[in-house]
Amino acid sequence: MEMAFISRLKPLLDAVAKTMDVYVPAKVGEHYTCRKYDPSGITEPELNEIRMCTPVKEFLFPLRELAAVFPEPVSPKQVKPFAVFGLKACDLRSMEILDKVFMEKDFEDAFYIARRRMMLAISSDCSPPGESCFCNILAGKPYPEGGFDLNISHVIDGFLIEPGSAKGKDFLFAHAGMFGEVPDALLAERAKLREAAQSQLKQITRGFLLDAPVGQIVEGGYNSDVFDEQARTCVECQACTRICPTCHCFYLYDGKQQDYFTKMKMWDSCMRVGHAQVAGGANPRKMLGDRLRHRLMHKFTYFLERYGIDMCVGCGRCIDAETGDVDIRAIVKRLNDELLAKGQQAVKAAT
Amino acid sequence: MTRNLYQPMNAEIVETIEESPTIKSFVIVPDAQFKFDTGQFVELTLPGEGEAPFTPSSSPAVVEKMEITIMKAGRVTGLLHECGRGQRVGLRGPYGNGYPVDEFAGKHVYVVGGGVGLAPIRSLFLTLVDRIGDFKSVVCRFGARTPEDFIYKKALFGDWQKLQGVEMKLTVDKANGDWDGHVGVVTTILNRKDVDIANAVAIVCGPPIMMKFVTVSLLDFGFNPASIYLSMEKNMSCGFGKCGHCMLGKYYVCKDGPVFTHEQISKYPNIWE
Repeated sequence: MEMAFISRLKPLLDAVAKTMDVYVPAKVGEHYTCRKYDPSGITEPELNEIRMCTPVKEFLFPLRELAAVFPEPVSPKQVKPFAVFGLKACDLRSMEILDKVFMEKDFEDAFYIARRRMMLAISSDCSPPGESCFCNILAGKPYPEGGFDLNISHVIDGFLIEPGSAKGKDFLFAHAGMFGEVPDALLAERAKLREAAQSQLKQITRGFLLDAPVGQIVEGGYNSDVFDEQARTCVECQACTRICPTCHCFYLYDGKQQDYFTKMKMWDSCMRVGHAQVAGGANPRKMLGDRLRHRLMHKFTYFLERYGIDMCVGCGRCIDAETGDVDIRAIVKRLNDELLAKGQQAVKAAT
Repeated sequence: MTRNLYQPMNAEIVETIEESPTIKSFVIVPDAQFKFDTGQFVELTLPGEGEAPFTPSSSPAVVEKMEITIMKAGRVTGLLHECGRGQRVGLRGPYGNGYPVDEFAGKHVYVVGGGVGLAPIRSLFLTLVDRIGDFKSVVCRFGARTPEDFIYKKALFGDWQKLQGVEMKLTVDKANGDWDGHVGVVTTILNRKDVDIANAVAIVCGPPIMMKFVTVSLLDFGFNPASIYLSMEKNMSCGFGKCGHCMLGKYYVCKDGPVFTHEQISKYPNIWE
């Protein structure tokens, strides 16, 4: 089954929830957070317009986890299958990025992989995009084109369900009775809605368009004053890195139980002053401006060089979460303009 | 399930050696064979307390035990200094890239070390000595703050000086007691005529400030930045390029280093901090 139609989401989620826990968006104020789906509820599940606040990394690389027990190792708990509903194209891209890190050949993180294999990713199109969304600046689209098991597009009177993996296809096949055929008119409507979302996104991000590949812009801006300037307003709350779906710094620490020892793994942030500090006190990034620069360089040049993709998906979560007036779009745009000005000066000097 | 990268191998401290007022060596026997290349590092866990990165100071040819030389510098190293024989510990690794010893064959090897930086250098030195005929010469220039601060005193003041194919000079920043050797920072015993620079590699390991000035001297002598090997000390934690603490520009020191050529890292700022 290539594509299916369903008029209500509840039967779909109920079917998924029969075999696994399902996490769904829940609106809190203006934003969506995530909660466990309760099939006994009577209300129709909500489809989030844009990404939830919760980054998908929470499901794959939790805030804190037990990484090792010794001297006698214990087998880690078996991960049960689970589904996350309401993921967006940017979330799927963030998973691709985390996969590069945690599934890297010869250095596979067994905990990440166990969760990744058990996860059913159910995504949906964005409509309309949010005010802080800028995935289009980074070659993203407000609808997924891959990386999902099932994708949902809201159309008049119902939802189009597209499988994106063998797991997704198997699900549709096993529940074929639940779905209807997809007339061409609905496909045309989906295409129209997607186009509209893209236009809206273009409108939202019109002030942030770039004139060169982002990696080149950020690398070229290494010595820009923008980082030290931003350091004046940044309050080092680290929210940007915690909520970022691609930031993956972590901290290992040891613990003592009654008859065994533990090694724990916990999210960390490169914005923390002691992040790079060694025991003797030396710290290559003791200045906040250096840490801001490092964060941008890591996202847009170092990661790109190492893994072939950049480490930002344009989800805008850091912009929503920040408390100190640091806007990643504005920094990149500023570096773009500085690079442009440098280029113009060079042209002027040559003529 | 895939191998757990975070699981330490159990090991035991079987001997401790006082090297200097602030530095001790620990002879550690792992529960299973533990192979490493010279210059690679391990994460040593003091159970329940914490973990820290160290480059073993013993020869990689010995796999049933290893020596780790530790300077008291922070909380974990302070606690390790209180440990004695029989203390159970954990070992993860080995991690990163060590010294490309094969690439040194046919060349002069100019080894410059200071303070506790002699720990990784001892492992390299023992490796070089094992195959001394492969190199044109091994020329060592080592420094310490005072004569007491030299580690591996017995070997350094004795056997190592007499090895064929090895030429060694020592210096201290401040003389005391019956020291009759050179006095001055390590750069004062470096000379452009020590080795044929066009056919030499330099290895530098020591406190960052010493590495910085030694590198400046070596470049001034005409060493190619690609022939200067630096052992970088950063906040290595996971050991395999994921946790982010040890990033030096685009590099993860734990995975791409800890040994880098000056050419690889010179463009990044604050490399010595």
